[in-house]
Amino acid sequence: MSFAALSFTAPWVLLALLTLPALWWLLRASPPAVREQLFPAISLLDGLKLEEQTPARTPPWLLALRLAAAAAVIIGLAGPTRPAARPGLVGPGPLLLVIDNGWAAAADWPARLQAAGALLDDAAQQGRQVRLLATAPDGDGSPPRLGATETVAALRPVLAGLRPASWPVDRDAAARALDGVAAGPVAYLDDGVGTPGRDAFARRLAAIGPVEDLRATDAGALLLGVAAAGDRLVASLRGLPSPVARQFAVLGRADDDTVLARLPISLAAGAASGEAAFSLPAELRNRLGRLTLASTASGDAVAIASAGAVALLDEGDRRHPVGLVSAAGEADAAPLTGSLFYLQRALAPLAELREGSLASLLARPLSMLVLTGPVPREGADALLAWVRRGGLLLRFAYPGLSDAAADAGALDAGASELGVRDSDEALLPVRLLAGDRQLGGTMSWSAPQRLAAFPAHAPFAGLAVPADVTISRQVLAEPSAALDARSWARLADGTPLVTAAALGAGHVVLVHVTAGADWSNLPLSGLFPRLLERLLRLSAGVGASASAGGARALTPVLAPVLLLDGSGVLGPPGPAAIVVPSGLLADTAISPQHPPGLYAPPGSNGAAQRQALNLGQATPLAAAPPVPGATLRGLQVGAARPFGPWLIGAALALLSLDMLASLALRGVLVGARAALGIVLLLCLITAARAQTSPALATHLAYVATGDEAVDRVEEQGLDGLSQVVNARTSAQLAEPVAVLPGRDELAFYPMLYWAVTASTEPDPAMIVALNDYMAHGGLLVIDTRGGDEATGGSDAGFGDVGGDALRRLAGALHVPPLTPLSIDHVLARSFYLLREYPGRVVGDPVWVARDAAAGRDDDSVSPLVVGANDWAGAWAVDASGQPPFEVVPGGSEQRERALRFGVNLVMYALTGNYKRDQVHADEILKRLQQ
Amino acid sequence: MTLAREAEALGARLPPLLLAAERVAATVAQGVHGRRRPGQGDSFWQYRPFVAGDAPARIDWRRSARGDRLYVRQTEWEAAETLCLWSDRSPRMAWRSSPRLAEKGERASLLMLAVGALALRAGERLRLAGLGGQSFFGRGALERVLQAQDQADDGLPSPTSVPADARVLLVSDFLSPESELRSLMAGLAARPAGGCILQVLDPAEVELPYSGRVRFRGLAGEAARLVPRVEALRERYRDALAERQALLARLAGQAGFGFATHVSSSPPEQAVLAVHLALSARRR
Repeated sequence: MSFAALSFTAPWVLLALLTLPALWWLLRASPPAVREQLFPAISLLDGLKLEEQTPARTPPWLLALRLAAAAAVIIGLAGPTRPAARPGLVGPGPLLLVIDNGWAAAADWPARLQAAGALLDDAAQQGRQVRLLATAPDGDGSPPRLGATETVAALRPVLAGLRPASWPVDRDAAARALDGVAAGPVAYLDDGVGTPGRDAFARRLAAIGPVEDLRATDAGALLLGVAAAGDRLVASLRGLPSPVARQFAVLGRADDDTVLARLPISLAAGAASGEAAFSLPAELRNRLGRLTLASTASGDAVAIASAGAVALLDEGDRRHPVGLVSAAGEADAAPLTGSLFYLQRALAPLAELREGSLASLLARPLSMLVLTGPVPREGADALLAWVRRGGLLLRFAYPGLSDAAADAGALDAGASELGVRDSDEALLPVRLLAGDRQLGGTMSWSAPQRLAAFPAHAPFAGLAVPADVTISRQVLAEPSAALDARSWARLADGTPLVTAAALGAGHVVLVHVTAGADWSNLPLSGLFPRLLERLLRLSAGVGASASAGGARALTPVLAPVLLLDGSGVLGPPGPAAIVVPSGLLADTAISPQHPPGLYAPPGSNGAAQRQALNLGQATPLAAAPPVPGATLRGLQVGAARPFGPWLIGAALALLSLDMLASLALRGVLVGARAALGIVLLLCLITAARAQTSPALATHLAYVATGDEAVDRVEEQGLDGLSQVVNARTSAQLAEPVAVLPGRDELAFYPMLYWAVTASTEPDPAMIVALNDYMAHGGLLVIDTRGGDEATGGSDAGFGDVGGDALRRLAGALHVPPLTPLSIDHVLARSFYLLREYPGRVVGDPVWVARDAAAGRDDDSVSPLVVGANDWAGAWAVDASGQPPFEVVPGGSEQRERALRFGVNLVMYALTGNYKRDQVHADEILKRLQQ
Repeated sequence: MTLAREAEALGARLPPLLLAAERVAATVAQGVHGRRRPGQGDSFWQYRPFVAGDAPARIDWRRSARGDRLYVRQTEWEAAETLCLWSDRSPRMAWRSSPRLAEKGERASLLMLAVGALALRAGERLRLAGLGGQSFFGRGALERVLQAQDQADDGLPSPTSVPADARVLLVSDFLSPESELRSLMAGLAARPAGGCILQVLDPAEVELPYSGRVRFRGLAGEAARLVPRVEALRERYRDALAERQALLARLAGQAGFGFATHVSSSPPEQAVLAVHLALSARRR
């Protein structure tokens, strides 16, 4: 690098260098500063002659030092930059700058703009003019056009305004635009994706002049697709094969951008696709609005701004509309005891419920239809057609069902067509025996029957069978060879309770009792909503397209509602976007006319009718070879490096040296004192960095699990809790501290929060420290973070299970006898009066030590609180003060209750059983009145 | 400053200075053996029987009441020798080169009072040069000396304020113009008076420890003096100081005075002992 290669951002500042000689003269002429000194014996000095006239001049080396500092400041302010080393453009003629601005270029668009800027810099240095060609069609649908030959200065704003499109590039049209272009060097910012016409376009480029093919080293062309598979949502990622494995994260976001779920997804080395399956509770899944892709290369998830990295979800992916056919007049007559009441209560949290007549329900997409009475005669054909297309019909018994069905054909193998022929009761999975079976009661010897365990082939497999569910009356299935396979639930004596049969793409399911509480107490039990949830999962994926019933009038077209732009943000449709023929949406090729986004029938409102068109579903993705004969380069241009700040820093260092030297010259500074000063300064710096003792303030502490994500949740959670406690109570908490029991001293912390994960292993030193902590007045809060199916929280079955790890730990920890936390316990009253103790999830019981000596007000403060509600997740606030995690089932009230429980925990840890009197306040008041 | 506050400030300063002076004096008194006399410190000398011709006012009625005879209280103290003290209170003395040291004026007062205390123990009277003929003796004399000292003028005392044949102790840095010193010593020699002069200096005044470019300012309104390189001047300054001390010693010798020097970084007892011996030698 030669000095001539230096460039200055403000070259006129260099004129100030001319003042350096004047500065030199000034500095040289001025003597060093005088030091004043009081001195009584001045009369003795007066008589003394000065034989040598001391040169009152600055020493030359000091002069040089100061001049160097001044020169460094001046040059530094002039903004010197060292240009990046890269090969220049060769050949005569204007530069042809070709930029791919289709969807595939969006992910690394800033890098592309930078590379283009660097090319323009080169052209400017060589005095070349530039022509620009962007290969994607415009937003108004017009094909790519070649720009006029312009100077670099005129072109920079055009380049800055260039945005990536959400549709692919059109290389055929781009090649046509290049007809008749003058020869000259070509720089091609290539997205590396093969499209039709790519080869012809590459040859056309090569014919114009020497081509530089600039590509991203890690191909940024990524396509995220989504498909519903049973009860899971499968995200698929496609990309150009890369020699190194790449890690990404798929974020499931709600419509309001909240992240509801996050899964890692990877592209193995050389692989072109990867998959990740979301297994979400129905409530969460219904709230998902889209999946976005984020890069995790830097540790944190950084969203990839590209239309290809967004997969929109529509009704087919997430909605499970359930229709309840209400018998005419029944709902009005008995709103609380009618057959629909328990169904409504059980299904409302899980699905979108619709009620009405069969015809009106089938007019709209449905995934499950619940029928508690006879099949209406007029709708039977439509119902059967709907089931065949994939609907799930759930029927319940009613008085008279068996009689009506006795002589009608059931949906037996080979008899299905026959069954539909004339009877409304044909839509049954099994033949029924005439008459009901009465179990128990005054006229019967038999006792009400309990449930048997669910068979393995049934969707209910694995659900716990409560002992208190009894069946006292049911309809009976006719024994047959297929009955066993069709029975999804049985009574203890083996008679089927739930039977099901496949019909076409759908299912017909019959529950052999009524949906009310008159035949059994099944609808009253907690099992009932679980059964319905399993059935809903079975019906998942039977979305709008599959279940669009024949009764529904097919809308001819779908109009664009919200479209993705090139960087993956939803916005209003552009001028070129036009309607798509209904039914063809899935196969529509992405173009300026049909950009990715949400489409809906014209005139419809609400999200229910919207259908998603994603780049990931129909766009082909293949790597393209480089332009023949071209020099292949990466996008990294080696940015010009300004080193002005370094010069100014050096000047400052020189000036401080100068100050030290001047002080030394004036005799103020002697060596020892200077050394002392430096040592003092170092001490101050060290002291400022030194950690303050944890005993100086009250800290909440959490056990460092070693899992970075879990630790961050714990830290954020305790941080949020500390803020709330500081704001609402007189307790003052400092920031939370991560501790490792066995290594760190625990005595300083009143409360220790431990998130037990599945991988937590008891470490002897840790157990000893924790036992000691509990034995000496500490409060250990153990949280297994939800997800444990057995405990029955709202998060059951979702996420990792800490329960097993807790059981392992419990063997080592000195766990006192535990009892569920009741509202009489001090912990429920230590600040707020609480009846429930939710965290991020609800429903899991909270365990505290049982009062060893009940009735005695001794110091029976529980050293241990065990729960699985993931309190830290609910307490957590991120750096911007927002909660990073959603609470389940949701609502600000749940988060508030979680925080209140946290405040109680802190108060309990700080005050022990001080508030126990409050527990007995009623009793005390009563005694006072006597 | 109001009189009350002045008095308060003085009172606050008194005890430590007096204590220090007493302490120094006690140390020195033990060092000089055989000076104690019975009955010292009292104005009483002896009683003698009343004889005709004595003034009736001189009869000591309390003693006479014990017996049948009348006694006269004899006060031999009138014949006691007077030690005339003076310490320099000029602004030049209110200076020290380091916070660890005492100010020169403070040290000069201390030395003067310590010598005075010794003299009081020896039963002698004190007097302050530069003030009127007031003399101090007996209990509390030191305190009154200290109070009276504040009324003295700056500058060298006039020789006429010194009683004839008195023992004189002058404590100062003696950096006044040479002519003034000469006239003072000549005046004292003409009184006649003997005694001792003690030069108190700060270590910085002895060493001139400064270096570099320094503008020196005097404390008594002298013109400032800019010295470009102090270190070059150091040797000649010491010579000048030695010359001044030689002059002082010569002047003192001519006037029949002893001459001692004291640097404020060294302990005061040494100087007190030297002065005390010088004064005693003259007395004998």
